[in-house]
Amino acid sequence: MSAMSPSERRLQKELMSLIKDPPPGVTVDAEQAEQNLLQWTIFMEGASGTLYEGERFQLQFKFSNKYPFDSPEVTFVGSNIPVHPHIYSNGHICLSILTDDWSPALSVQSVCLSIVSMLSSCKEKQRPHDNAFYVKTCSKNPKKTKWWYHDDSV
Amino acid sequence: MSTTSTSEEVKDNTSREDEGDAPNTKDEDKSNENLLECNICLDTAKDAVVSLCGHLFCWPCLHQWLETRPNRPVCPVCKAAISREKVVPLYGRGSKKQEDPRNKVPPRPAGQRTEPDNNFSGFGFGDGGFHMSFGIGAFPFGFFTSTFNFGEPRPNMPPHGTPQNMEEQFLSKVFLWLALIFIAWLLLA
Repeated sequence: MSAMSPSERRLQKELMSLIKDPPPGVTVDAEQAEQNLLQWTIFMEGASGTLYEGERFQLQFKFSNKYPFDSPEVTFVGSNIPVHPHIYSNGHICLSILTDDWSPALSVQSVCLSIVSMLSSCKEKQRPHDNAFYVKTCSKNPKKTKWWYHDDSV
Repeated sequence: MSTTSTSEEVKDNTSREDEGDAPNTKDEDKSNENLLECNICLDTAKDAVVSLCGHLFCWPCLHQWLETRPNRPVCPVCKAAISREKVVPLYGRGSKKQEDPRNKVPPRPAGQRTEPDNNFSGFGFGDGGFHMSFGIGAFPFGFFTSTFNFGEPRPNMPPHGTPQNMEEQFLSKVFLWLALIFIAWLLLA
C-alpha cells in the first residue's frame, strides 16, 4: 500500500467516493478500475427528460502518472456513441475542461457531471459539422487534438 | 441581553439536531475532516497553504500545479489569479519542524508579518525611538555563523524588481564592504 504513487493514491480515493456516492446515472466498473487504477470504464445513462433518456453509454478514462496535474483522456467507447454536436463518431469529446481548462481540483466525478450536463442541454441530435474529416485525420489520443472551443451553448 | 438569547437559540438548535438524528454527528465529524483536505491530493493538507481566495492546498501540490502551468497561474478550485507570493502558510500549534522529503520543492513561502504602527516620529536620536547596537562576539565564529547561516535557513528573497529586493541587495553590499574593511583593520592593527 505504501508503494502507491501520489496519482494512484488520489485515484484510489476518487474510486472509493465514486462507488460510495456516484452522480445520478453514473456507475463505475469497480473491479476493472481496482485492477488497473490508470484505466477506468464508466457507464452513463442519459438523464430523464432529455434527448438521451433511456440510452446507455460507456466512457473510458485513461490517467497518466501525472494525474491530477495532467487531465485524464476521456472518450466514449462501445457500440453507442451519443449523437451530439460536440461528440465525434469515434468517441472523442470536444470539452474544454478535458484539455485547456483542466484543473487538478476537478475529478472523475466532476468530469462525468459535465458530460451528463453537456448531453442534457442538447437541443438537436447531430454530429459535429467536421465529423467525417476529423475522424479520418485525428490522432488516437483526443488530448493531442488542438481543440477550438467556440460554442458554449451546448 | 440579545447576545444571551442568540446563544441560547444556537444551543437549542444543536441539541435539537442531536436528538433528531444522532448518527449524523459522525458524518459531521467526517465532513469536518474533509474541510482540512488538500484540494489537489485529497489527503489532509501537509505543509498547508491557503490562497487569498480561501482554498487550501498542500504546498508541494500547489507548487507542482504552478510549475505545470507557469504562464497561467490560477487557483485550481475557483480559477482566481494566484501566485507563490500570495499564498499564506498555515501553522498549527503542534507543527513539528519536519523537513519535507520532496526536497525539490522549495520551502513554503513565509508568512507575511507586518508590525503594527507605533507612532514612529522620524529619525530622532533623542526621543528614544532609535536604537543601535554593535557587537563583536568570538570573532571568527561569529563571523562564520552569520555569514554561512548554520542552522536556520535564510528567509526567501523578495521577488526581483521590487523596492524591497533592491533595498536588501544594497544593504547586503554595504555590510559586505563594512566586513571587509573591518577585517583589513584587524589584520593591519
